[in-house]
Amino acid sequence: MRPYAGAIAFFAAVGLAPLVVDDAFLLDTLVLILVWGCAAGAWNIAGGYAGQISLGHSAFFGLGAYAAALCGVRWNISPWYGLAIGAAVATAAGAVIGFLSNRLRGPYFVIATIAVSQVLLLGAARWRGFTAGSEGIPVPFRAGFWTLGIADKRIWVWIVLVLALAVYLVQLYLERSRRGFQLAAVREDEDAALSLGVRARRLKVAAIAASAALTAVCGALWAQYIGFVDPLYVFSVDLSVRFSLAAIIGGLGTALGPFLGAVLVTTVETWLRAEFGGLGSHLVGLYLILYGTALILMVRYAPQGLMGWMRK
Amino acid sequence: MDAKVSILSVRGVTKRFGGITANRGITFDVAAGELVGIIGPNGAGKSTLFECISGFYAPDEGEVELDGTRLTGLSPDLVCRRGIARTFQRLRPFQGMTVAENVMVGALTRTRDVRHAREQAHEWLRRVGLLEKANAHARTLSTGQRKRLELARALATQPRVVLLDEVTGGVDQRSIPALVELVRELHAGGLTLLVIEHNMRVVTAVAQRIVALHMGEVIADGTPDAVARSPKVVEAYLGQAYVS
Repeated sequence: MRPYAGAIAFFAAVGLAPLVVDDAFLLDTLVLILVWGCAAGAWNIAGGYAGQISLGHSAFFGLGAYAAALCGVRWNISPWYGLAIGAAVATAAGAVIGFLSNRLRGPYFVIATIAVSQVLLLGAARWRGFTAGSEGIPVPFRAGFWTLGIADKRIWVWIVLVLALAVYLVQLYLERSRRGFQLAAVREDEDAALSLGVRARRLKVAAIAASAALTAVCGALWAQYIGFVDPLYVFSVDLSVRFSLAAIIGGLGTALGPFLGAVLVTTVETWLRAEFGGLGSHLVGLYLILYGTALILMVRYAPQGLMGWMRK
Repeated sequence: MDAKVSILSVRGVTKRFGGITANRGITFDVAAGELVGIIGPNGAGKSTLFECISGFYAPDEGEVELDGTRLTGLSPDLVCRRGIARTFQRLRPFQGMTVAENVMVGALTRTRDVRHAREQAHEWLRRVGLLEKANAHARTLSTGQRKRLELARALATQPRVVLLDEVTGGVDQRSIPALVELVRELHAGGLTLLVIEHNMRVVTAVAQRIVALHMGEVIADGTPDAVARSPKVVEAYLGQAYVS
């Protein structure tokens, strides 16, 4: 049980927090920490475990967010369907990007992922008749669990916690299963892995597709929680950077790391917004400087991320 | 040769890179249980031939067959699954993994059970004399130990034929005899091996048969003695055959 002590403590604390905390601001922060933690964990499946660094994961997040929103607005069906549709579309998109990863390595793959998210951004911002264009799309609030119209933030904590546990377990599977070992081999040296009979290409595509699907689920839940989908935000490189940064700061290729990274990134950002939100709103951009500084400090003093640093 | 059954056959393999022909119509057979050495000066086409057999290169012409089934055109992972394992001249251990985990990756090609793969990995590490390093990180190994690790990893895929690329290359002189002994032991255990070797003394000591390449072509194929005396081979090496 010892290796899981940290994770058990973390998830138990999050699960119990709504019973004792009733401050809306704190609960809101907690929901966002979990959403970004899930997205960072999903990113970690491709970026950490499979070694395919993507800076275009907002593409999948946006697909999930739009799928959930459009199901309510255009077809008047449950956002749960939207969540499933978003995950399915993202799986397909992830498979395409996974296929690209077999052709493009290193920086070329990173650039391709950014390009995919930007193409989707332009598509969503221009297709006014369907996506409502760059104005964005409000998600209708219809009270009820089936319509995901939930005002009580405590319920949201638990809903996202379920997803967080799923993401955590998928990552754990990648640490101790056959496929996990094979994927690690592909990450370390693809040719050597191939020479040992590892179906490297197939594994990479599957990992990126799974990562995409989970990211889309995050996007769908986030859209229902926030109630508004803005293409310039959900498909932004900013968001992609946030996912990868949380995972890298927390510890690449560790199951709990992305969640710890999300705690840090979200707290810092929320604090900055609270501190400079009003008068000095032009200073909110400071978070980019802080991100950069944090990243430099991490690489210098804790290259294995928070998880590696805590293990020492 | 006639009495034995050919397990690996290379038929007219030709590989060109632009205007350079790295392999030209290479043809030879390896019998089950045989240990065949491949020699040749730098640039003779030895490594290209290995890449063609293991599926990393697709030959422009010719066929590679394992036990009568075509391997040509298969990707390296499928070639391995059919029963050909290889090591690399430039060693490529999975640096971030432990020694045992490196070998497990090979074992997991044949078993779905991680625990079983771990047991097999330890068994292979014992056979190559690396068991005490099982839990060490691969990056901490010496070159000689890395050679053993690559060998264990390849063997864990339960190959029918093993291609060894420069087992003693880059290894300090004192470690060579033990490595040679290990190759001999594996061969005595019934393994079929195809070995690229720079070191003539090593290859004549272990190989039953030698195929000599020069400028991408086979210039001699026979017993170590016969090949070493072949005028073409002596010429190719400029008479330095025994100097190294």
